[in-house]
Amino acid sequence: MKPEKKFSMYRVFINWLKSTWDKFYLWFFCRFFTFFIAIALGLRGIRMSHNNGIAGKGRLKIVDDLDLPNNDFFKPGHEFNIRVRHASATFLDDAMKVIRSCSIKFSDHHFNSPFDIQLNSGNFGVFWSAISFWKFASSRAEKWGVDWVKYNHDYPQGSKGAQLGVRRHATSFHNVRYYSQSPYLFITTEGIKYYCKYKVRPFEDVAETGIDPNPSVIDACNQRILPHETRGRNFLKDEYEDRINREGAKYRLQIQIRMASDDEDPEIFNNMTPWDEERFPWKELAEFEVSEVLDWDESCRTTFSLKHMPKSLGIIPAKSVYDYNSMNYMRANTEFARKVRLFAYRVFGPPKPIPDDDNRNVT
Amino acid sequence: MYQPDKVEKVCKECEEKTKIVYGYNDSFFKPKLKGINFLQLGRSSMITNPITITIEFLYLVYSKIRNAYQALMKFLFPRREKIMGHNKNTQVVGNITFARKADIHVPLHNMRCELWTRSWWFSWRKLGDCTSQRDGSFVIEFDLRAARRFTNRAIQFEIHQHTHVYYKDTSVHPVYELFKTIKIPKKDIIGMQYSLHTIQLFYWEYRDDAPVPRVVIKDHDKDAPQYYAQGRQDAFIEQVTPIELTKIKHMEQLAFAPETITMESLQNDYPENLTRCIERELPGYTRSDEWMGKRMMNGMNRAYFEPDENDKDCYWVKYYGVCRYAHNEKFALPTAKMKFRLREDGLPMPIHLVLIGPINAFNKDPFQEHVFTSDDGDDWQHAKRVFRVNGSFTTELDEHFTGTHLNTEQYAIAAYRNLRLNPIATLLQPHLKEVVLINHSADQLLLSEFIPNVTALTPDGINQRTRDVLGMQDWANWQPMEPLNEIHTAARAEQLFWDVLHKFVGEFIQDNLAEIRAHWFEIHRFSEDLVNHAVPVFLSDIDMSELPDEQRELAEDRFDYYSKQYCFDTTVTRETRDGELKAVSPITHSDDFDEDNADDEIARLHHACTYMIMVATYLHTWINEHQYEQLGEVLYSCGGLRFGDKERGVIAPESDLSISPGLARASQGLWFGNILSRTEYGFITANNENDVNPKLIEMLLEKEEEFKALNVDVHSIESRTNI
Repeated sequence: MKPEKKFSMYRVFINWLKSTWDKFYLWFFCRFFTFFIAIALGLRGIRMSHNNGIAGKGRLKIVDDLDLPNNDFFKPGHEFNIRVRHASATFLDDAMKVIRSCSIKFSDHHFNSPFDIQLNSGNFGVFWSAISFWKFASSRAEKWGVDWVKYNHDYPQGSKGAQLGVRRHATSFHNVRYYSQSPYLFITTEGIKYYCKYKVRPFEDVAETGIDPNPSVIDACNQRILPHETRGRNFLKDEYEDRINREGAKYRLQIQIRMASDDEDPEIFNNMTPWDEERFPWKELAEFEVSEVLDWDESCRTTFSLKHMPKSLGIIPAKSVYDYNSMNYMRANTEFARKVRLFAYRVFGPPKPIPDDDNRNVT
Repeated sequence: MYQPDKVEKVCKECEEKTKIVYGYNDSFFKPKLKGINFLQLGRSSMITNPITITIEFLYLVYSKIRNAYQALMKFLFPRREKIMGHNKNTQVVGNITFARKADIHVPLHNMRCELWTRSWWFSWRKLGDCTSQRDGSFVIEFDLRAARRFTNRAIQFEIHQHTHVYYKDTSVHPVYELFKTIKIPKKDIIGMQYSLHTIQLFYWEYRDDAPVPRVVIKDHDKDAPQYYAQGRQDAFIEQVTPIELTKIKHMEQLAFAPETITMESLQNDYPENLTRCIERELPGYTRSDEWMGKRMMNGMNRAYFEPDENDKDCYWVKYYGVCRYAHNEKFALPTAKMKFRLREDGLPMPIHLVLIGPINAFNKDPFQEHVFTSDDGDDWQHAKRVFRVNGSFTTELDEHFTGTHLNTEQYAIAAYRNLRLNPIATLLQPHLKEVVLINHSADQLLLSEFIPNVTALTPDGINQRTRDVLGMQDWANWQPMEPLNEIHTAARAEQLFWDVLHKFVGEFIQDNLAEIRAHWFEIHRFSEDLVNHAVPVFLSDIDMSELPDEQRELAEDRFDYYSKQYCFDTTVTRETRDGELKAVSPITHSDDFDEDNADDEIARLHHACTYMIMVATYLHTWINEHQYEQLGEVLYSCGGLRFGDKERGVIAPESDLSISPGLARASQGLWFGNILSRTEYGFITANNENDVNPKLIEMLLEKEEEFKALNVDVHSIESRTNI
């Protein structure tokens, strides 16, 4: 088969120019976005989305029989102090139909750590690149719990992600399954490149709760509590605190791994396309237990960053704002906004705890 | 008595003399009709004022400049088919359905969808294309980076419809025209899928307010599923303008100087027709029994001769009157049944006439019978005129308007809604073109304004009748009329045309068999639309046991006669849909070609296509081009006779103008006859639009002499029903 275009230095130069521009634009885009978030939200002490959460601390142990290529960070039997934070996205009401999250920090410090990971409910994202995230963020138009109408209308995958990712009436943060969705690098001790995805599930084999049994396109934008709702605004956080105080919460951290190749189909980086679990089964990576709940102030201060990763487990470099990997690139480059938020806490104090009042469907 | 040789000679000469030619010389500052869609029964929109003509001229100059500019833009910024980008990582998705309330879940398949972008310097760049699937869904894959290039100004999604085909040399070229554009903001294209959701198109929608399958035309100039070709418009304007001026003159005379106009002067203002020409040379001949036999057999009526059960060599021709249809009290329309006996030379001679129904304004018994025979002297002549008039009306409304116009429209709508990639679209569309437009014009002009004012039927009555007659039209097992004998040239010519057509369609199908089978589901959708929207079989929706005996006998007699006249095979098993026994038979029953019954599937398609083309071309042309012969002399024949105010009613001489149409209606009738016969355009052999299959032309020309021997000029057969 003949090449599509003839080789020439001119073509090389043009393509180099284009790719340099793309990278610059991505860099600029993320800096601009971070600055915007820092000014608009960070200074007010507000997280970008998952404000409604609860954090705890405990211990994590890499499994002894680790069935993975050798890695400098994940060593069998190695143990870490950890912080874990569960949250409900965007709204300050646990009874709403929202995405739930689980973030793990491999240290007992509110900011610093060798490894942070952020996971959400559902194996399917709501956006897939930096540009799509910007579209998502800019088209929220929320009114009393109904939002992203145009986004859901225009982007079928976004709507599908919203339908499959939300967990209304989960009985506990503990039994929800959380996925990293986007892949990360996994470089072996020998330097061989792999890609991986992470998953958190309860240690015991308990059923996941909160899954919408009948997801619908029509109702995807409606995240409001149900009429005649009896659960309070903090029922999930309260349940989690009770659980930790009573018995603790034990989880498994799992990993999916695939070897990289030089002619990779970009679709494998797409967080809207789960990897085939038969070809790339979930393997046990670690077990961890949360044994103590942090107070509200410390919970607010605890923050997670994808910058906190060892070289062998970092994010996959992105080439442009359209690249699927630009999602993680952007997440990793919003550290400035986090620092501004923490600074605001020091100056103005952390936000007040969410009251158990009847002010529902609010952000 | 008339000398046969002289009669023959005079008739030939008059046929030649009154043959329609196209000779109007258009010139500047001469009045001009605005267009086909501007026809009015009273006064059509004419451009007469020199200032208006000048403005019209300037407008024409402007449109030429505009067209030239558009052509230049097209030349400078062509829409190249090359697709931009390599990495098809993004999709525009959606679903196309019809927009009519009852059709919103009916998908539009095989519509061509394209995604284009324009650069800041106006050049077009194609991002991708596809055709919609059977369920109406479409997915256009394209390169996200190519779409988001900063040099691109805007992105637009386009749906193109397959409008027509044309032949260059012998190869066929489909023509697609832009049907709908949806702008997509460039910033909204962010990868993965962008959904346009359900796009509802007002595309060849069925009307909900018509008793028969009709298409919705919101605005014939701006929002119609089809438009007349410019050539068709020009031909029409050229031919109609002088006739329109004559009619306008009559209207002015009647309004302001009625003493200056008589039936004779009015008649003389219009071009001479065949009967008047013959009458000048052979006075009384056109009112003779012999002439009636000739015209019934080979004239416009080309009547169906039903053999008499008891009398060998005798036949009946029946024209049914008002029957149960809504009618007025001013015009007579009795059922007329005439018995003919074949003369030695084979010519049917009228011998006996039965008129059933009122013939005067006083006795309104709908089943009163009046019998006339050739021995009845003047009354026989007067009764024959009633038969002639009823025959003309019935032929026009039942055979012409319903049998060809409405019949063709139901096939046209189903074809345009469903046939796109299947080669059958190429076969049928040139012949099904424009019929919906002329039918739309007929709704107002003919069915609402003219016929209810010159005949016994009201608009409701016309609707009821056309629905009933359409309920006797079906392609299944249809065959052309059986000739009675050698001199039955109309039937022989019909048979000859059918044979040519059958052969042509057969060869076309064989040549394109693989593609036809590959897109068989289009045939199925076509067939389903056809059947689902067809009218019920005549009388199938009536409880016959509830009808009074006389009504039931009349209805049964009509059904029996119609089934022979229209070759409606009553033994065919038809389908019931929504509780109605549908008149049109399905062509196929499945989306996929039935390999087990391949021969049967192809045979049905072959027969159905041949029938559609036959109706739209030959059968329509026949009546159309003979109309002025039959209806070009008001006192000889017209749309309807008034009861008058005398006891004798319509059994009266032609000199009794109280029963003939009034002068205004007479002028309008002649105007109509001229328009219908004189403005034909789109002849098969002339191939004005280059859309007729050259093979059909070749096959017809091969038979030119045979047709000529049967008094048919192959060059005058229209390729479509457009007037």
